[in-house]
Amino acid sequence: MFRLLIFAVIAAGIAEGAPVAKSLVRIEATFQEPTYKAPWNPGEVSGGVGAGFVISGNRIMTNAHVVSNAKFLTVSKEGDPRPYPAKVLYVAHDCDLAVLTVEEPGFFKGTDALEFGGIPEIESTVSVYGYPIGGSRLSVTQGIVSRIDFQTYSHSGMDSHLTIQIDAAINPGNSGGPVLQGGKVVGVAFQGYSGDVAQNVGYMIPTPVAKRFLKDIGDGHYDRYVDLALSYKALFNPAARRALGLKDNDRGVLVGSVYEGGSSEGIVKPGDVLMAIDGLPISSDATIPMDKDSVQLAEVVERKFKGDTVTLDVLRDSKPLQLQIPLNGPWPFTLHGNAYDEDPRFILFAGLLFQPVDQNWMTEYQPDDLRLRYMFDFFIEDKIYREHPEIIVLSGILADPVNAYAADFRNGILDEINGRKILKLADAAEEFAKPAEYYVIKMAGSGRPIVLERKAVEDARQRILSRYGVTKEQNL
Amino acid sequence: MIVRILPLFLALCLPAAAGVIPQPKNKPDPASKILSVVRVNATSQVYDFVRPWAKKPPVTKRGLGTLLEGGRLLVTAELVANHTFIELEKAATAEKSSAEVERVDYECNLAILKPADPAFLEGMKPFALDSGARVGDRATILQLEPNGEIAQTLGTVTSISVGGYPLDNMGLLLFRLSAPMQQRDGSFTLPAVRDGKLLGLLMRYDARSQTADIISTPVIAHFLKEAAKPSYGGFARAGLAFASTRDPQLRRYIGLNEAGGVYVTEVMKGGAAEKAGLKKADVILAVDGHAVDQDGNYEDPGWGRIAFSHLSNTIFHPGDTVPFRVFREGNILEIPVKLEARDRSKIISESYVVDRAPRYVILGGVVFMELSRPYLQEWGGEWMKNAPQRLVFLDAFQNELPKDRGKIVFISQILPTPDTLGYDELDNLVVARVNGKEIRCLDDVVTAAKSPVDGFQKIELDEDPGLIFLDAAAIEANRDVLMRKYSLPALQRL
Repeated sequence: MFRLLIFAVIAAGIAEGAPVAKSLVRIEATFQEPTYKAPWNPGEVSGGVGAGFVISGNRIMTNAHVVSNAKFLTVSKEGDPRPYPAKVLYVAHDCDLAVLTVEEPGFFKGTDALEFGGIPEIESTVSVYGYPIGGSRLSVTQGIVSRIDFQTYSHSGMDSHLTIQIDAAINPGNSGGPVLQGGKVVGVAFQGYSGDVAQNVGYMIPTPVAKRFLKDIGDGHYDRYVDLALSYKALFNPAARRALGLKDNDRGVLVGSVYEGGSSEGIVKPGDVLMAIDGLPISSDATIPMDKDSVQLAEVVERKFKGDTVTLDVLRDSKPLQLQIPLNGPWPFTLHGNAYDEDPRFILFAGLLFQPVDQNWMTEYQPDDLRLRYMFDFFIEDKIYREHPEIIVLSGILADPVNAYAADFRNGILDEINGRKILKLADAAEEFAKPAEYYVIKMAGSGRPIVLERKAVEDARQRILSRYGVTKEQNL
Repeated sequence: MIVRILPLFLALCLPAAAGVIPQPKNKPDPASKILSVVRVNATSQVYDFVRPWAKKPPVTKRGLGTLLEGGRLLVTAELVANHTFIELEKAATAEKSSAEVERVDYECNLAILKPADPAFLEGMKPFALDSGARVGDRATILQLEPNGEIAQTLGTVTSISVGGYPLDNMGLLLFRLSAPMQQRDGSFTLPAVRDGKLLGLLMRYDARSQTADIISTPVIAHFLKEAAKPSYGGFARAGLAFASTRDPQLRRYIGLNEAGGVYVTEVMKGGAAEKAGLKKADVILAVDGHAVDQDGNYEDPGWGRIAFSHLSNTIFHPGDTVPFRVFREGNILEIPVKLEARDRSKIISESYVVDRAPRYVILGGVVFMELSRPYLQEWGGEWMKNAPQRLVFLDAFQNELPKDRGKIVFISQILPTPDTLGYDELDNLVVARVNGKEIRCLDDVVTAAKSPVDGFQKIELDEDPGLIFLDAAAIEANRDVLMRKYSLPALQRL
C-alpha cells in the first residue's frame, strides 16, 4: 500500500544529478496503523517509500509522514544496494518534518551533507529529487517557483506554515526529497494535488520551516510551534476603521477571539486592533513586510521558539498600547489534528466501547450524530472543553445479554458514571474499577441512564473477551 | 420549502371494496355519481427564505376535497399551504367555485375549505367518520379520472400507530395502507374509505414501497371539534419525552415491580407536565386509567395498541385534565395534568412558517433574520449536513437553550455596497447586541438601530469576527440606492 503524499516526476538528466546522488537516500517504511473500530487489535501492516537527504551531524531529513506510524525503517544510498535500519531521532507532526539516523558505523561515509539555502525567487528554477512511482531509481524533476504563501500542512491537517508552490509534475514517492537550487536545499518536497483537482501544483516546505525545526531540536527536545492563539480579521470597511479610531493608512486587523490556555490569554482582548508585530507594521489584510516580500503576520511568530517574546502594538478603545506576549506554548487544542504514533485510547466495559473523540476517530467513524458533530466542531468556539475536556463517546457495542438494551445509546457522549461527572477517559476507568452494586451511566442530553448490574457485568466479562477476541480491555 | 410536496401516485383500483360508492353506470347519471368529493385546485406561492423579500414561482397542486357532515369540505393543510388561489371543481359537471380556507392546522395537516358560492356543495352526500379499524382491514382510496369518474384502489391497513406528521413532526395517530396506486390527475390529497365511512385522508404516498400515510379519523374528529369552537384550541402536548423500561437492569435499579410503565427522560420547560409536577425519572404507569406498557402503548378500544400520547393529544383537548399514575422512588402517585396546546410564539426556531412571510430587517445591506427551520431547509434534502452548522445545531438543540433566550437573530447575508465594503464574505452569524442592546427578536434590531453609537451602527456577534460597524448616516442616505440596486420592495418586514 502506498500512503505517501502525491509528488512529482518528470524527465531526469539534470546537471545537478551527480553530486546530489551522494546526499540522497531512499527510505522504506513498514507501517502498522491502528484501527479505532477494534482498538485492541494491533492494526494492519503496510509499506511505503519516500526520500530523504543527508544533513550535518550524520542525520537524514525527511517528512514526518514518511516515518509516522512506522514500525520498521530502512534507508539505502545511491550505488549501495544494502538497506540500513534507521531510527527516528525527532519528528515534528506540526510541520511534517523528521530527522533520522543510521546507527551502523560507516553508513554516512562517502555521503555529503547538504546545506540549506534561502527562499528562492518567484519564477526561478528548482530541481526535485526523490523516488517517485514509475521506477525504483533516483528521479529528478524540474520546475519553477510559482507562489510563496501560507498553506495547511495536510499531515496534521490543522497547521499552516509558509509553503512554496512549484509547477513540477507530480507523483507519489517524492515525499521528503530535497528541492535544490544552486547546490543548496531550498525546500523539502511534501505535498501536492492529485491530477483530477489541479495540475502542476506541488508544494515544498521552505527552509525557514526546516531551519526552525533543526534549531528547535537543538536542545534535544522538539517543543512544537508556538502560537499567539488568537483570531483576527482584515479591516477594510471604512466605517469600521473610523469607529475603531483608525487612521486611513490601511493598517490594523481586528481581534475576534483570544483562546483560553494560549499565549495571548489575559493580555490581548477581543476588539483590540493589532497595529504592529515586533515593530513591523500590519496591513489591513493581515500582512507584514518581511524578506522583501509581504507575508502573513503570523510569520513573525512562526520563526520564534518557546520562551521567546513577541511585541504587539495594539489600539484598545482607540488608545495605543504596547503588549509583550511571552510565547509559552503551542496552539492549545490538538483535537482537530491528525495524530500519529499513538495507540487508540479506549475502555471496554460490559461490551460497551468508550473512546475519546479526536480527528482520527472522526475520520474512521464519520458519524452523523448531530450532538457529537456539534461538540467536535464547536469544541473550541463554544468552550465545550470546560465541561468535556475529552469528548468520550460510546462508539461501539459488542453485543451480549448484559448490554442488550444499550443499542440506542451508540454515539452518545458519556456524561456521568454513578453521579460523577466524567471529564477524561481515566475518570471513567476509575469509576468502572470501583465495586458498585449498579453502574449507572448517564449520557449527555436527555435520555434514560444505562444501568449495569455488577454481577451481570462480571458474568459477561470473560464471555465477551473470548467471543470477540478482545486482547486488551483498556488503553488510557 | 415550507410545503413538503410528496410524490403521490394515484391508482386505479380493480375490484371495488364493499361500500356505498356507486359504480359507474353505462348510462351517464349525474345524480347517482358519488357526490362526496370535489376536485380542489390550489395555487400556492412559497416565500424564499434566502431572499426573504421575494416569493418563489407559483405552483398549482390538485387534490380531492372530502365532504363531511355539517357541510365541511376537508383537505390536507399541505394542499392549501401558502395558497394564493383555491378553486373547487365538481367532477361530473366541471362546475367551479373559488374557496377560502375556513380553518387550518399544520400540526395535524388538515384544513376546512369554504366555497365562495354557499350553494356549491348542496345536494352532495357527506361522509361519516369511521370509528375503529385493525391492522389487516381493507380500505379504498378514491381518485377521480380526468372524465370525472371515480377510480378506486383497494389497500390493506398495515399499521396503526402514532407517527410523525410532516410539517411539525408532531406524533399523531397515523394509518399506513399498502396499496398499488397509479398517478392520476396530479392529485395528492385523497380520501380513504371503508364501509362507506371515511377512514382518513391520504397525505403522502411512497411509490417504491407502495405505502400511503393516512391522517386518521380520530385526528380528523379532534380537528373538527376544535374547529367548531369559537376559539380553535388545537392539539395539546403533555410536554414530556420518555424511554422504554424493557431493560430489566433498569427496572431493578429503580425498584419498579409494577408491570409496564415508561421512564420519563425529559420534562419540557413550561409545558403541561412540568406545571403538573412530573419529573425526570418518573415512571408513567397509566394515563386516564389506561395501563401504559413498557413501550408506552395502551389498549385503545377502537384502534388497538397505540402510544399513550394519543390520549393526551387527540382524545383529550387543551384545557382537559388527565390523570397520570406515576411511580416515583417507590411510591405510586396520581398526578392530574392539565393539558395545553403549545404557545407557538414561545418557540425559538419554528419548524414551519406557513401562510406568512419570513421576517427580515436590512440595515445598510446587512440582512437580519430570525432562525427557523424553513431557512435551513433551503439547503435541500441534506440540509442538516449542508446548512450553516451552528444554525443547524441551534435549531436542533433549542430546547436546551435558556428559556428566555428569545429568537435567534442572525445575519443571513450581507449585500455588497460601499457601506458594507470588506464584509461580503460574512454570512450566517448570530447577533448578540446592536448598539449595546441585547437582541431577542428582529424588533429589537429596529429599536436598537434608532440609537447609533457615535454615529455608527455597532453590531456585536456571538462568533468571529465579533464586531461589525456601519456608518449610520451613510446607510440612511443610501437607502434608496440599496433598494433600487437589489430590487428590494422594503427594507424590513415584521
